[in-house]
Amino acid sequence: MITVDSVTKRFKPGLVPVKKAGKCGDHLTAVDNVSFVCRPGRVFSLLGPNGAGKTTLLRMIATMLKPSSGRITVSGRDTVKEQEDVRRRIGFLTGTTGLYARLTPNEIISYYGELHGIGRRELEKRREELFFTLGMEGFANRRTGSLSSGMRQKVSIARTMIHDPEVLVFDEPTVGLDVVTSKAIMTLIRGCRDRGRTVVFSTHVMGEVSLLSDDLAVIHRGRLLFCDTFGRFTEGMRSRTIEDEFIGMIEAAEAQA
Amino acid sequence: MRMISIIFRKEMKDMLRDRRTMFFMVFMPFIAIFLVFNLTMRMGMEMESRAREKVMRVAVISRSPVPGFMSLLEGSGEVEVAEAIADSGVTPALESGEVDFVVRFTNDFESIMAREGTGSVDLYYMGSVSENEGALPRIRAIIEGYGESLLQQRLVNRGLASDFAMPLSITEKDVSSARARIGESLGGMIPYFIILFCFLGAMYPAIDLAAGEKERGTIETLLISPASRGQIVVAKWLVVTLSGVFTAAASFTWLFLVLRYGSPVPGEMVAGVMNIIEPGSMLLFLAMLIPLCAFFGALLLSVSIFARTYKEAQSIIAPLNFIVLIPLLIGIFPGVGLNWATALIPLLNISLATKEIIAGTINPFHLLEVFSVLLAMAVAGLFFCTRWFRREEVIFRGA
Repeated sequence: MITVDSVTKRFKPGLVPVKKAGKCGDHLTAVDNVSFVCRPGRVFSLLGPNGAGKTTLLRMIATMLKPSSGRITVSGRDTVKEQEDVRRRIGFLTGTTGLYARLTPNEIISYYGELHGIGRRELEKRREELFFTLGMEGFANRRTGSLSSGMRQKVSIARTMIHDPEVLVFDEPTVGLDVVTSKAIMTLIRGCRDRGRTVVFSTHVMGEVSLLSDDLAVIHRGRLLFCDTFGRFTEGMRSRTIEDEFIGMIEAAEAQA
Repeated sequence: MRMISIIFRKEMKDMLRDRRTMFFMVFMPFIAIFLVFNLTMRMGMEMESRAREKVMRVAVISRSPVPGFMSLLEGSGEVEVAEAIADSGVTPALESGEVDFVVRFTNDFESIMAREGTGSVDLYYMGSVSENEGALPRIRAIIEGYGESLLQQRLVNRGLASDFAMPLSITEKDVSSARARIGESLGGMIPYFIILFCFLGAMYPAIDLAAGEKERGTIETLLISPASRGQIVVAKWLVVTLSGVFTAAASFTWLFLVLRYGSPVPGEMVAGVMNIIEPGSMLLFLAMLIPLCAFFGALLLSVSIFARTYKEAQSIIAPLNFIVLIPLLIGIFPGVGLNWATALIPLLNISLATKEIIAGTINPFHLLEVFSVLLAMAVAGLFFCTRWFRREEVIFRGA
């Protein structure tokens, strides 16, 4: 469960360039008074153009950034006051997440497992399970620098899942990946939902939205334009496709601004 | 502590597998030290011996007789007498290298000698030819020897003893110990080399551990782990500091080995110097490097965290290199001593303290001051670095 309550994030100008985000005084407002709830067993999609504030919002959920105002809780824990508790419960993956090229998948997974305080025997068991499920046994002891991008993405997935997180945050997880690897990520997200995990993911790929979403929020210039179930979104559509509906929403918001 | 140890072990493993870092930590100091202490020294010594052993071609110009001079020149074994040349031919002959020196006696030399006056002798040479620098004292000594023989002749003519013209006999006696002299000469050089390598050795791990993580997109995965920012910084800082200390130790070992076995300096001489330098003083020197490396570690890591990419970090650190060099260069010059004021200046204080430690003249209070300054810098550096790492606008700068 993730609750985002009236969250605003402002950046000092110049330090973090936020494309197209709303300007307010001397600060750039990347996220502006946003509230929503992500529930266990459901996939919450965050849809928005580049620079809408998706990454900032997800980074705040993952405790990497602190909200300027408002409050976020993950499984009931405050992301500012109980950072470490939150991090133990979160898995985080982006399309651009890197790996340590000089370490092997085995070493990388052990590293994150140890950081999460998983005991040796338990770690061994989970690693074997994950490597088997993802088909990673063949390259578990090769340095990741020599692996293909598909193999590397599998390592990233295993890294995200090693501590069996309650909440999963995916920030544009399929960016730059081929169809096969993207499909593996989609399967992973669906699997997490089916096991009752809370999943939030951001994207600007409409196909992914219609395939996965249970709930949907549309964000533009740091503000929510829509936030409800995916069913309600399709019911209320005035355009023929989700894509056209989304573009229409953004254009209407632009015209108002 | 457990988190720090997990991150520390992982970073060490990662770093030890990085060939570039290992090159800068181990082999670059060797190459540089070998070049300086073998090739450069060998060239210098060869030049010196060539100047010392060179047979000088000397032309003599004299209108009046100079009795005994030519035989003195030929008998010296160091000179090959060239054919006499005209006054106008002096410069061309020197420029063409036909002769190395031209000795020109004044035209009325004979009559001046007859009335026991002072006859002028001009010695022409090319100062721009570096070999002449070493040869000049030799030809001068021969000419002065001739003057000495003329003086003896005058004394004998007047029935005076040879002591008559030499009321004083001066003997220089250097009472400073060999230890003090070595301290002055080597004491500045050792810190110069070792600290420079120390900085370079810590530089690559520092860049790799922060800017490198940003560039590769691994920093997020670490920030989202249960490790706190403070634990992450301390672990990384320990790795960078340790690599600085390791590079210092490696450079020090290379310096010793190259001087002992790979330099043109005779082995007995090096052994003599090594015997004089107490092992304790070297340990004390290396001990000063630990807080220094801790400071370098914090400084380099702070820059690296700020940078967005490997390249950006390198471009900020390159000028820092020069800033580190300046106080070390000042430390090499003679005449700058360790006192309560110079002990406050980082790097210069290590250089000056090393001189005095080797010479055995260090004031314990000054040494304490140097250590306090270095420790304070290390603590302040780490404090700043951890604060810096907690700032969102630093970590996610331009992300």
